[in-house]
Amino acid sequence: MLGAAATAPLLSACGSATASRVVRFWDMPWGPPAYSGLAERVTRGYRTADGARGASYQSVPWNNYYMTFATGIAAGKGPAISTGASFQAFLFEQQGAIHHADNVVEHLHAAGADDVFLPGVLDTMRTADGYVGIPWQLDMRVLWYNKRVLDETGTSVPTDWDSLLDAGRRLKKAGHYAYGTGAGAGNTAGTQMLIGLMLGNGGGLFDPDGNPDCVTNRNIEAMDFAQELVKEKIIDPACLGYSADNVLGQWKSGEVAMGIHDSGLPSRVGDTGDLLDVASPLTGPHGDKGALYYVNNLMMYKSSGTRPAATERFLRYYLQHLQTYWDEGLITALPVLKSIADSEALARDPRQVKIVREWQPISRTYAERGTARLAAVDGGSALYRFTQTILRGDTGPRQALTTLQKSIASIAL
Amino acid sequence: MTTAPTTTRMRPSRKRTMLLLAAPSVVLLLLICTYPLVYAAIQAVHNGSLINTGQYVGLQNFTLTLPTPEFRNAALFTVVFLLAGVFGSWAIGLGLALLLRMPVPGAKVFRVLLLLPWVMPIVVSATAWNWLVATRDSPLPTIARALGFGDVLFLADPTLAVITVCVVKVWLSFPFMMLMSSSALASVDDSVYEAARLDGAGPWQRFRFITLPMTAKSTYISWVLMAIFCVNDFPTIYLLTGGGPVDATSSLIVLAYRKVFQDFQTGPGVAIAFTMTFVLVIVSALLFSRIRKADVA
Repeated sequence: MLGAAATAPLLSACGSATASRVVRFWDMPWGPPAYSGLAERVTRGYRTADGARGASYQSVPWNNYYMTFATGIAAGKGPAISTGASFQAFLFEQQGAIHHADNVVEHLHAAGADDVFLPGVLDTMRTADGYVGIPWQLDMRVLWYNKRVLDETGTSVPTDWDSLLDAGRRLKKAGHYAYGTGAGAGNTAGTQMLIGLMLGNGGGLFDPDGNPDCVTNRNIEAMDFAQELVKEKIIDPACLGYSADNVLGQWKSGEVAMGIHDSGLPSRVGDTGDLLDVASPLTGPHGDKGALYYVNNLMMYKSSGTRPAATERFLRYYLQHLQTYWDEGLITALPVLKSIADSEALARDPRQVKIVREWQPISRTYAERGTARLAAVDGGSALYRFTQTILRGDTGPRQALTTLQKSIASIAL
Repeated sequence: MTTAPTTTRMRPSRKRTMLLLAAPSVVLLLLICTYPLVYAAIQAVHNGSLINTGQYVGLQNFTLTLPTPEFRNAALFTVVFLLAGVFGSWAIGLGLALLLRMPVPGAKVFRVLLLLPWVMPIVVSATAWNWLVATRDSPLPTIARALGFGDVLFLADPTLAVITVCVVKVWLSFPFMMLMSSSALASVDDSVYEAARLDGAGPWQRFRFITLPMTAKSTYISWVLMAIFCVNDFPTIYLLTGGGPVDATSSLIVLAYRKVFQDFQTGPGVAIAFTMTFVLVIVSALLFSRIRKADVA
C-alpha cells in the first residue's frame, strides 16, 4: 500500500521531456476482446500530415486504472489522449494534468456542434476552465424486463412507481425477484438504481451550483420507495452481497424479471438476451421522469511529450471514425453523435433506438456541472455505504441521506 | 559437576562475520523499502494526490482520520480478523499436523490435498466462496434453508459477513499453520513422549507439557507471520465483500485502499497505512520478545 502510493513520483524521474511525434492513445476495454483489436486498427490508421504513423494504442484494464493513469502521468509516460472513467477528466483537471478541449469544441462548432451531438451531452464536459473532454459514448441506465416472465405471470410492464410496486408483488408471488440489483464487492448497480430513482423523482445529489443537496423531500420520497421494494422482497434482501456476476446470473436464469442495467445487458446474459426488452422511463409520483447516465469521454493530457495540436488533430480524426464501432457491433453503449444514433447500425436493434429516443433525453449525470468531487462520489465509499444502508432497510432515508450529505461535503480534493 | 551456562556471548569476530554475511540482504532491503517509506511519509503529511505532493498539512491527515468512526470500525474488524485468522488457522493447522503424525493410510495424499487452499490463487478461492454463499440458490444457503434456518444472508448480513470472511481466512491459512506445526513437531523426539507415557502422562498432559512448550518457538514465529498476513490481507476481504455490508468487513487495509484509490484522499489513506505499519511493528516486536524467551527456555 505504502509502496503503491509512492510509485508514481519515483517513476517521474524516468519522464521524457522531448515532444513525440506519435500520439499515445490509452483506451479501456469497452467491449469484447475484438473491440480492442478494432480500436488499435483505427488508431494505427491515423497518419500525420507527412504520411507517417501518428498514433500508438494501448489497452488499459479497469483494475486499478487510476493508479495506472496517475503513475503514467507523473512519470511523463502517460497518454496524450485517452478514454476512461466518466469523471476521470474532472479529477485530472483538478490535478493540473488535463489539456482542455476548447479548440476541438470550436472546431466542432464551426461544423455545427449543436447538430453533431445528442442534446445536452457536450455541456456535461464543461467546467469553469473549459471543456475537460469530448464525449464519445453514453453509458445509460435503463429499465429492462424479461418479456417471457412478465407474460407467464400476467404482469403488465410498469409505467410508474405504483405499477412497479404492483408488478413486483405479482412477480414475487410467482417466485421472481421483480427488481434485480446488487451492492456487493465492486458492484455499483445498487447505487445506480437508487440515484436513478432520485433523478426520476426530480431529485438528485447536487443543487444546480454543484453543492451537495441530498436531504430533500424528493430524495427522501425516492428512498422510501426503494426501502418499500426491499421490505416487500421485490428486491432480493441478499443483494447487498451480490457481485455484478451474481446479478447477471440471476438475469440469465430468469430469476430476475426487471431491473435497472446498462444498455449492453442483453449481450451478457446468453440466450435470455433475446427475451429482454426496454421499458419506457417510469413516471414519478409528481409526474417527473429522469434517469442516470454516464457521458464517457476522450480526454487530452498535458506533459505527455506530445504537442497539443497533434493530440487535438488525432481527437478530431478519432471522432470521425466512431461510427466503425457501432457498424461492427463491438460496442453496446449508446453513441453521442446524432449521425450514429440515426444510422442503420443502431436501427438493427429497436431496443437501442428506444433508449436513444426515450431515455437519453431524460437522462442526467450526477450533477449539472462536472467537478473533481464527482470522481470521488462515483464509485467512492460514501455512495457505496449509503447504498448498502438503504438496501439493508434498517436506517431511515433521512438519516442515510444526511450521512451521505456530510460524507460528500467532506470530500476535499 | 558444573553445568554449562545456558547462554554464551558471541565472539566479536563471529559477530563481524555474521554482520558481513547479512549486509547484502540488509542493503537490498533498505534500497527497496526506504524510498517508498520516505515518500509515503511525505504524502502522509501533505494534502496532495498521486500526481502532486500538495501542501504541507502536518499531522492533520492523522488527526482527522484516526478518530473517525470508520477508522475505529476498521481497526476493530482488523483485530477480529487477525485473532480469528491467527488462532483459528493455528488451532486447525496444529490439530491436522497432530493427526497426520498418526499412521493414517494415505497421509501423504491428505497432506498434499490439505495444502490446496493455500496454494490456490486468491481470486479462484474468492470466486469459489462467492459461488458457495452469495446468492439464495448457492449451496450453503440452500442447505441452511433445508435445515430450517430460513434465508441465511452470508454476505448481506453484517454479522454473518464478518463470520464468513473470518472462516474464509481460516480456510485459506490453516495449511500454512499445518506446515509450520508439522515441521515443529518433527523436531520433537518420540522418546520424550515415550518417557512421559511411562511416567503416566495422559494425551492432554503430553500435549500441554510437551507439545506446546517444545513447539513454542515455531508457534510464535507462525503467529507473527500470520498476524502480518492477516493485517495486510486485502484481496480476501475486497473480493468477497468489498468491505461491506455497511463497512462491517472493512479492515484497515481496505479502508486505506478506498481512501487512496476510490475517494482519492491520498494523505488520509497513507496515514492509515502508516498507522497500520506502526502497530504491526509493535505487535511483531512483542511476539519476537516471546520468541526469545521461548528460545531461552
